[in-house]
Amino acid sequence: MHDMNVVDLSRLQFALTALYHFLFVPLTLGMTFMLAAMETVYVITGREIYKRITQFWGKLFLINFALGVATGLTMEFEFGTNWSFYSSFVGDIFGAPLAIEGLMAFFLESTFVGLMTFGWDRLRPGQHLAVTYLVALGSNLSALWILIANSFMQLPEGAHFNPATMRMELTSLSDLIFSHDAQAKFVHTSIAGYVTAAVFVAGVSAWYLLKNRHTDLARRSFRMAVLFGVLATAGVITLGDALGFVGAQAQPTKLAAMEGLWKTEPAPMPFNLIAFPSQKYQTNYGEIQVPYALSLLVTHSLTGNVPGVDELEQDATQRIRDGIPAVSALKTLSANPGDPDALAQFHAHEKDLGYGFLVQRYAPDVTVATDDQIATAARDAIPQVAPVFWSFRLMVALGLAMLAYFVLAVIYTMRNIVERKRWFLVIAVWMIPVPFIACEMGWVVAELGRQPWTVFGVLPTWMSASTHSVGYMIFSLIGFVTLYTIFIIVEMYLMVRAIRRGPDDGHDAHSPHTSQAARLAGYAEG
Amino acid sequence: MKTFLLFVLLMFIAMLVIVMAVILGDAGAWYFAWLVGTAMIVLIAAAGGVMLDAQDERRAQASKGSAGNA
Repeated sequence: MHDMNVVDLSRLQFALTALYHFLFVPLTLGMTFMLAAMETVYVITGREIYKRITQFWGKLFLINFALGVATGLTMEFEFGTNWSFYSSFVGDIFGAPLAIEGLMAFFLESTFVGLMTFGWDRLRPGQHLAVTYLVALGSNLSALWILIANSFMQLPEGAHFNPATMRMELTSLSDLIFSHDAQAKFVHTSIAGYVTAAVFVAGVSAWYLLKNRHTDLARRSFRMAVLFGVLATAGVITLGDALGFVGAQAQPTKLAAMEGLWKTEPAPMPFNLIAFPSQKYQTNYGEIQVPYALSLLVTHSLTGNVPGVDELEQDATQRIRDGIPAVSALKTLSANPGDPDALAQFHAHEKDLGYGFLVQRYAPDVTVATDDQIATAARDAIPQVAPVFWSFRLMVALGLAMLAYFVLAVIYTMRNIVERKRWFLVIAVWMIPVPFIACEMGWVVAELGRQPWTVFGVLPTWMSASTHSVGYMIFSLIGFVTLYTIFIIVEMYLMVRAIRRGPDDGHDAHSPHTSQAARLAGYAEG
Repeated sequence: MKTFLLFVLLMFIAMLVIVMAVILGDAGAWYFAWLVGTAMIVLIAAAGGVMLDAQDERRAQASKGSAGNA
């Protein structure tokens, strides 16, 4: 029997390492394409200022990239150390995209990032630009394969369970790659990275403008970042809606948690703008609702219906009852793989095998599971509503705030009045943490909303963990948290130091009121 | 000859892109959207930088002109 403390500690450890890692990832995803845009201008116009801009932001990108790699590497090992049953159960499928990511995308970005950093004097401008684009492509392909693997956990397509090997096996790589969840998740996540980079570049540029330093670099960077950002933010919101639309069909329990939807109501359904969900009493307190909005948002129609927790629990109860014969047949097959009756029984109920596993947590011999145990397991099929509900709302609110910020920033920069709007520059600096928080909240929604499954509808979380001791888990958890906290402090220190120093261009820093000379610094060298 | 070879190469790339667009557009509409969207975002951001330089240049010429008139 699994020790649930170990399972919870394994979950906590993976959640923390993933959240730490994802502080670095979005900036890498977006920064590479920002660099590509900046260097494109340098190659097209031949103006030296854009080379300096690219080199400066490239330095900040490199600090972030190095720490992103360091924090990401350990996560792949964690699957084996802390989630050994999960690894053996779905490793045939889950391992494929991870291996492709390492061999194709990660090697591509890691190889070319060196050329990008050290190749300025060794490559022609066009060649160096190609290298920068390859780094951008590599880092985003890296995200693609990781998210394909993650999407298998959210919507397990292209695989089936083989009772002969007692493992999931890949049936179609193309189904895995082109699953709707994988596609929607990839575009939403990678473009969230673009938004993060845009806010970061705009924020740092705003700080220079406030300090009246490196204004030639800052004005151009700010302009490019906010244009990049406004398009990316519009994209991330639209694609988020698409991901919600796909997710509504793939994981109705996650959607019910995101919306705090305890009861199925007739369409058109209201949207809970604010609510305080109670898992125990299955109700919301202090609801503030927007009429009709939920049906419109989720089903894109006024007649669309969204199932609530009550309906989903009933469905889970039925599926648990249907899954019990599959689990008991599997037990027979593990002792006697050729048993034709057990095989027939298994195939008749295999689609609900995962739900049978849910009740096994409470009744090791599922054939004698009581109604109470089945009801408890059915309740488990609903994720914790409050954290998913609020994480989702925070993510959306921050996304909309960033859209408003970028629209205003575009207006000011296109009119060339942004330097006079000191209050706005202060806001731009304070905006820097916002996309990072939004990205983290996005992962909380995606992963906490997937519970109680590691692979949705197939493998429950309680079965997936390794059988470590609690002491071992606490020790490794403290180790990881300490190490990663040091990494973050190091990154913050290096970033702040690099930003304070500014570009190594021998230009100084302080400019008298963005004079014409400063404005035209780019031409003097270009 | 060099121009001709460059033309052939670019035509080949264009064909390759069209084939990829057909395949991806059919099977992976979102991936295709990402490719097109990313290209658009990068190019518009780049255009924004170029436009800033052009605005500065125009302003510089305008101030030079007004100084000359004075």
